[in-house]
Amino acid sequence: MSSKFRQEHTVGSFLWKFFAYLIMIVFALLAIFPLIWLAINSFKTTVEFQANMIGLPKKFYTQNYSGAWRIGNFGVLFGNSVLYTLVSVSVAAFLSLLTGFGFAKLQQKSTKPIYSIFILGILLTTQTLMVPIFLQISQLDNLLGNFFEALGLCNAKNFHLFYNTKFGVILVYVGSLLPIGVYLCTEYVKSVPTSLVEAALIDGAGYFQIFISIIVPMCIPIIITLGLLNIPTIWNEFALINIMVSQLKLQSLPLGIYKFSGTLASDYGKEFAALVIGLLPMLTFYLIFRKQITRSVGNGAVKG
Amino acid sequence: MVIPSFVIYLFVMAFPIVLSLVLSLSNFSGGKIFGSAQWRLTGFQQYGKLFTDPYFWHAFKNNILVVLVSVFGQLPLGLFFAYLIYRKIVKFGEFWQGILYVPSIISVVVIGIMWNLIFSPYGPLSEIVNKYYSLSYASNLSKIIAGSIGSQGKLAISDNLIARIIALNPQSVASTFSNPQVELKDLLISMANMGIPEIQADLTHLFAPVWSTSFLNKEGTAMIPILFVTLWCWTGMYLILFLANMQKINPQTIESAQIDGAKEKSILAHIILPELSGVIMNAAILCIAGSLNSFALIYAMTGGGPARITQVLSIYMYEKAFMGTPDYPLANAISIMMVAFSLLLIALTQNVKKRFGDQNE
Repeated sequence: MSSKFRQEHTVGSFLWKFFAYLIMIVFALLAIFPLIWLAINSFKTTVEFQANMIGLPKKFYTQNYSGAWRIGNFGVLFGNSVLYTLVSVSVAAFLSLLTGFGFAKLQQKSTKPIYSIFILGILLTTQTLMVPIFLQISQLDNLLGNFFEALGLCNAKNFHLFYNTKFGVILVYVGSLLPIGVYLCTEYVKSVPTSLVEAALIDGAGYFQIFISIIVPMCIPIIITLGLLNIPTIWNEFALINIMVSQLKLQSLPLGIYKFSGTLASDYGKEFAALVIGLLPMLTFYLIFRKQITRSVGNGAVKG
Repeated sequence: MVIPSFVIYLFVMAFPIVLSLVLSLSNFSGGKIFGSAQWRLTGFQQYGKLFTDPYFWHAFKNNILVVLVSVFGQLPLGLFFAYLIYRKIVKFGEFWQGILYVPSIISVVVIGIMWNLIFSPYGPLSEIVNKYYSLSYASNLSKIIAGSIGSQGKLAISDNLIARIIALNPQSVASTFSNPQVELKDLLISMANMGIPEIQADLTHLFAPVWSTSFLNKEGTAMIPILFVTLWCWTGMYLILFLANMQKINPQTIESAQIDGAKEKSILAHIILPELSGVIMNAAILCIAGSLNSFALIYAMTGGGPARITQVLSIYMYEKAFMGTPDYPLANAISIMMVAFSLLLIALTQNVKKRFGDQNE
């Protein structure tokens, strides 16, 4: 077999190889260099950046980081981001699997139409709906607030269940993660032998018990896939949380970073530090789980 | 089992769509929606307003550009890289793949702000080009005025030098300094001690053409950085997606084709592409849906500016609802238009997919 291919190593194939490497190197540099540039400039003072935008700093000025961290309140925002991401990703994974179990193994008449409603949701990103979502959650708060005020329980103006609450953010995040999660879980649970479920039913196990004792242990891989796909999605989410909270103590990291480009834009050193703070968590996450993330994206995002 | 997530799903997606549809047909202008008589349905006048709104069509046009570049840029590039790695035309596939995916994992807010800085008129791109200008100017200067730059790289300032610099470009010097003789001398003396690079830069600003990226702020070119960043950001994701599915192809198919004397070209055209057609179409659907509704990247990068030139539908909607006096009916009409447009394009792709699939069988 090898003798047959040796003849292909001609000048043409060498040029083609050279061209392929060249393109690869150009794109790889293009992908990495701007990030390195960010990191370098985060150690310059604003004055030094304006005089020297490309080279290395004369002295590494680390106060940018402490300054950006303090001004941006990143301690609070970081905590919020962790909370939003962990809670909504795990709740979404649990509910997706539960729903996938329902769709795959407990089929009823209504299964098909409801399933297709979920599938449609994969294609309608929640960002499109930010205006109605904002109106809906703020109006519902208003409605419930008035109701409770009539009962004498609280003041309507101070009542918030959805708008400006962590619960509201997590609820909307979970909802936005469900379509793809339900789709992947349903496809996955279908591969679990139905006989296992039936045998457990005969033994008198309830559906929820079957779910916990049979489905969950067998579906760990898809839960990991969902987690790896969804953690960056929620961590980086900006459009929805931007309209759902107005108070600093509820904001997430991307909102805090965005502020550095607006009101604080003149202080380049701190702006660069804020950007680096913004990209480090997910970069670290990627470096640790690179293989698993790659596999999840390859298998999870779309199926042929 | 299904009920809890179905309820959340309805709350987050289905109900907002209905609400949006209702409000887009109304004259709601703030206040209470539920249980209030302050607003009523007024029919399709919001859509009429929208269709005669030049800003809407401008945003629409930009959105189409983003979708086109995404579908016909990200997907083919991703496919190309995946092919190079899969066929081992380039070695260290995992390394390249790992690097090219990095932009996809980073927050689009960070990416938007970063590229906005890079493309800004006084940013590093301009500096790189200007550095080149200033170097060539300095060498020109030392050629024209011999001895003006001393052995230690410092400027030797004399009346002769100043006169000759002014003679190089009298208009430019005169327009920069009210009194060319005195002020230029002050400037040169004040900078002579600082070493040559600063002088080079400032002389550049005086005489050499100063290149800047400000041309990117004009109608017609303003979308270029955004389209570039769209490509930069997501190509790696499609690379991984396509590569993973290429690796699922039975290697024996390709080996036996090679034994039959098939060339690389025909392996690509007759084995890899047909095997991947389903994945490609699915990726195209996701790509359309994602790029049509993209908000955060462009919002962080330009915010739709300058003067709405780079606005897309989602940003226009955001502006109508959250900036200035809210126009909720119009914003909801835009939202409904985006939903309808997504569905239309996706139906179109599904249709193509069906035909494509039939041909394969």
